[in-house]
This record gives sequence, C-alpha cells and structure tokens, in this order.
Amino acid sequence: SIDMLMSSDKEKDPDVISEDSSLLTLRIRKKALDRREETIIVDRACRQETLAYEMESHAIGKRPDSPTDLVEEGELLLTLNIFYPVIFQKHKDHKPYQTVLVLGTQKLTELRDSISCVSDLQIGGEFSNQPDQAPEHISKDLYKSAFFYFEGIFYNDKRYPECRDLSRTIIEWSESHDRGYGNLQSVKMEDYVFNDLSLKIGFPYLFCHQGNCEHIIIITDIRLIHHDDCLDRNLYPLLIKKHWLCTRKCFVCKMYTARWVTNRDSLAPEDPCFFCDVCFRMLHYDAEGNKVGEFLAYPYVDPGIFN
Amino acid sequence: MSAVPGLQADCEELLGAFQRADTVRFERFAELWRERRFHTVFYGRIRALERNKLTKKTLELAQQYFLPPYAFQIRVGALYLLYGLYNTQLCQPKQKIRIALKDWPEIQKFQQDLIDSQHYDAAYIFRALRLARAFHFTAMPKLLNYRTKKKIEENEFKEEFKDPSNRVNSLITNDVLEELMNIHDHYQKMKCVISADKSQPDKALSLIKDDFVVTLKDITLEHQEWQQNRMKLFLNAKEIDETENKKQEDTLLESEGSERANALARIKYRSYSAVAEASKSRRHRQVKLEHSEAGKSPSRSRKTSRRPQPARRDSPEVRGEMEVAKGTPIQHIGMPVITEENSDE
Repeated sequence: SIDMLMSSDKEKDPDVISEDSSLLTLRIRKKALDRREETIIVDRACRQETLAYEMESHAIGKRPDSPTDLVEEGELLLTLNIFYPVIFQKHKDHKPYQTVLVLGTQKLTELRDSISCVSDLQIGGEFSNQPDQAPEHISKDLYKSAFFYFEGIFYNDKRYPECRDLSRTIIEWSESHDRGYGNLQSVKMEDYVFNDLSLKIGFPYLFCHQGNCEHIIIITDIRLIHHDDCLDRNLYPLLIKKHWLCTRKCFVCKMYTARWVTNRDSLAPEDPCFFCDVCFRMLHYDAEGNKVGEFLAYPYVDPGIFN
Repeated sequence: MSAVPGLQADCEELLGAFQRADTVRFERFAELWRERRFHTVFYGRIRALERNKLTKKTLELAQQYFLPPYAFQIRVGALYLLYGLYNTQLCQPKQKIRIALKDWPEIQKFQQDLIDSQHYDAAYIFRALRLARAFHFTAMPKLLNYRTKKKIEENEFKEEFKDPSNRVNSLITNDVLEELMNIHDHYQKMKCVISADKSQPDKALSLIKDDFVVTLKDITLEHQEWQQNRMKLFLNAKEIDETENKKQEDTLLESEGSERANALARIKYRSYSAVAEASKSRRHRQVKLEHSEAGKSPSRSRKTSRRPQPARRDSPEVRGEMEVAKGTPIQHIGMPVITEENSDE
C-alpha cells in the first residue's frame, strides 16, 4: 500500500536522532538538543507548559451527550485573541492575551459572558472598619453595561435594565465635529450572531465594559468546523490559551494569594501592602474584632486569579 | 512565525531532486523520500506542545509549494510531500493542512489537470488526503500570531521551481499563429483576385514579407529555447556554487562565462541567419538586426536565495561573486530587434 512506502525499514525510536542523518533540520535540532542536555539538569515540562498543552487539547474530539448540542457541518469556527487590559512594563513587546474559539452561530452575548476580566470582580469601597462585609457587591453585578465595536458598529449589551449605552458618548463625540469617522451606529448585542458580522482578520476591535475597562479583540482565524474539533455546542466559547499571570502573595506568609491591600498602614512595612485574609485579620484586629492601628483597607483581586 | 531551522533547505533539496528526476510518478518520489529518510524530520525528543507547533509549521511550509506560481512538477512534488508529512507526523490527533478559500478553486483545477493528463497516482493521493480529512478550510492561509518580529523574514523561494513567466508564449500561442496564417492566406488570395494575373499577386502589391508568420513562429521558438538555456545555465551555476571548493569555483566560473558566451554566440548566429532576404523591390528596407539594450531583456530580479549554511562563512562572498559574474554577461543577452516595420495591413 501507499503508506508502506513511507515508513522506514527498521523501526527507530522517534526520540533519538541518528548520527548519519542527511537532513539539515535534524542536524540543527540535534545540536540544540545536545546543548539542552548539557545545560538543563532536569528536562521535563514545567506546569505552565502542561497547562498550555492541556488547554489546547482538552476539548479535541469531544462529543455532546445530547444530539441537539451537536455542532453542524458547515459551521464556522472563529479564533479570537482577547488582550488583557493591564499594561505592565514587562509586556512591552507582546501583550498577553487569551484565545477563545467561537462558533459562527453563537450570539455576541455568549462571548461577552465568557470573557473573564479581573475588573469584573473588583469591589469598590474602603472596608477597614467592617472587614466582614466586604465581598458583597462585585462590580460585575453593579455595572453590567458592555459593548463590542466591530467595523463601525457598536453592539451594546441591553439585556438588563441597568445596562446603559456606553457607546453613546463616543458616537456623540464623533458626530459633533467632522472627525473623519464614518457613520458610527449603535445596535443591541443580543440580536446578533457572529455569522451576521463582516469582519477583518487581524484588525483590532474593541470590547469595553465597566465603563472604562477596554480589551482589544483580534480575530486570527476563521475556518470550517472539522471532524476532529470539539463538537459540543455547550463548551463554546472555548478557551484554549491563557496567559499565566503570577499572583501576588501575602506579605506575611508568602503562601496565599493576597486578598487585601492596605494603604497608610502603620503596621505594615510598605505602602501599599498585600495580605491574605488570615494574616490580615490576625495583624490588624485583636481578639474581639476591634481595629488595631490606623489604616485603610481595600479588598484586592489579583489578576492571576483565573489561573 | 519563526521558521523551523533547516526545514526549508531540506524541502527544497527534496523537491529539487524530484524536479531533476523529471517525472511525476509517486514511486520515484517515494524512493527519494526513503533515501533521505524524510520521515525522521519529526524526530528528536520533543514534548507534545512543541511538537504540535513544529508540525503545524512544517505542514505550512510544505503547503506553500503546493500552490501557483510553482511549476506543475513542483506542485505534484509538493502534494506528495504533504501526503508524506501528514502521514508520518507524530502528533496525535494529527495536525491538519491549511488551505485558504481563495486557493481552493485553483487546487480543484489542478486536480482536474491531473486526472486529464492521466496522472492517476497523484490524483489518488489527493483523494486519499481528502478522505483522511487532512484539510482545514480557512479564510487566510497563514495563521497569525502576535510577537513583534525582530526582523521580517522574507520567504525566498527558488527561482527554478517557478514556471518561467512566459509572456511571449502566452501572446503568440498556437491559436494566434494559426489565425495569422489564415488571415495571411486570405490576404494573398485577395491580392491574387484583384491583380491582373489570377495565379499570382501583383508585384506592386507585395508590401509585406510573405513568410512573416513562419518567421514569427521561429522567433518565439528561439525565445523559448533561450529561456530554457538560461534556466539550465542558472541551475548549473547554482549546483556549482554548492560545491565546497572555492578555487574550483573560480575556474568553473570562468569556464561558465565562456560557456555562456558560446551559448550567446550560438543564439545570435541563429537569429542572424533567420532574417529573410527581402524581395528585390524592398531591398532598400532590408532588415537590420540591432542589439537590444539591457533594458529590453526580460528583467528578472535575481533574488539570491538565502541558503541556511551556518558553517560556511564564505558563502556571502561567493554569492557576491556569482552575482557580479552573472550580471555582466546576462545584460548582453538580448532579443534581436527587427527594425523593419512588420505591419499587418
């Protein structure tokens, strides 16, 4: 058969590159491997790599339990890169992003719901006097408005009555003087699916929520759905790549992720200072729960919380 | 995407060998493949994540050779290469070959060509790939990623793989020549009809060269031959360049130069002799052959294909030499320009 012509006559171990290889690729690769062997003591996948690989491949080939959830043939699959809004100095060269797979027949609202941004979880307010009441209203519940901007049209989330049209300001601004922007329109997000949009690949678009938290969205790929893809509709939008952010640990125990940040704290060595819940209470409140010392405390949500 | 080091060289070497074998049979390709044990290109202790990326890049590189403007033989070779790489990859589940939507009609045309020219093995291979669901149908051929590249790498493809852009041939096709012949005959007959002597056109009416169609055909054939010769010389020069011995190269360059000069002389001689003798009434408008300037020759930018040779540090200078040596003779290759009006009335 045809396949037989390809395989070699002797079974070789794919991990070993033979010495007499005629391929330039292999010679270069062997040099790199030898160098790695000399310099690295233990050569195995670190947890970031394992995580990245798992995320990429965990959903491959999945099939749904009920046939109504099966993705049809001829469905489009879009790959979106959603960039993080934080701007750290170390991200100058390349901004970190997460990659999401979206079906063509999915609504924009489903994508909106799947974007997990740390600013959604922020809790506003100073809670040094009542630390137990802190996690009551996260920003996601308070400020529900959001919009997408694709190709001159703002898609506003109008599902809840609290949602406001954030894009109105921008449209009014662009219409007030001749700024050179064409007609900007504003429509409702929940009425549209991705198949309705006309999009450019590689062109940056915007997702804005919380009034001023802006994420750039870039579409990197559109292709037809394939037999080997995940065909369970419920799993989409599917996250396949995520940037790993290091979490800030508590200053005291250096073990737990920081949950509180204090300013102007007479008990803390630096300003601002991060504490986990346990250490925070132990340091700043006595046995009866009274406040000790002067400080301002805010609940803190670390960007790496989604790791 | 940063390229896999050495992969382009290996692929081009394999495709070059396939081109030289001058056949499109799969058995021949499989032999060449087995000689080089190409399936080992995925070997080496590579962990799963990187292996996926590597395979994707490999398939993407091979896929580029599958599309026009490459020559037919190269495209068939690329098809076989894709088949081989797809089946011998170590990833599980297998990485797919990306085909852009805009390329798909051309590929279907290519498959039709294969079937029409009875290259059934190639057509079978293509069908096998499709049955194995080896293709991703995408909007854009290249998957984007967002690292700022330190320098933009340009993909230099080998010139020999491309079909020589044959403008002259596409203009003066067989159909055109046939039509010209017909019109010419018709014209001659009209001249006979209106002249006094019914069997021969009037002497006063002979305003064009009678056999201009034949001459035109000869000239086009010569152009084609000249192009092929130039290609061969270029290929020879490339092969010679790849040998290690520099001194040998110098002497060979010289002999190449003389080879080229000979080839030129031969072509010129033939074109000189191709000029027809004008009839007596038109002797004052005898054809004069002029050398065309360098500008007239079809300008083909000679991109030096960057061959990744980390060990050879003298290659850039050698290449520079090659360029200079090639530059001067080639400028003199010119198409003979016939100054006489070759009008069709």
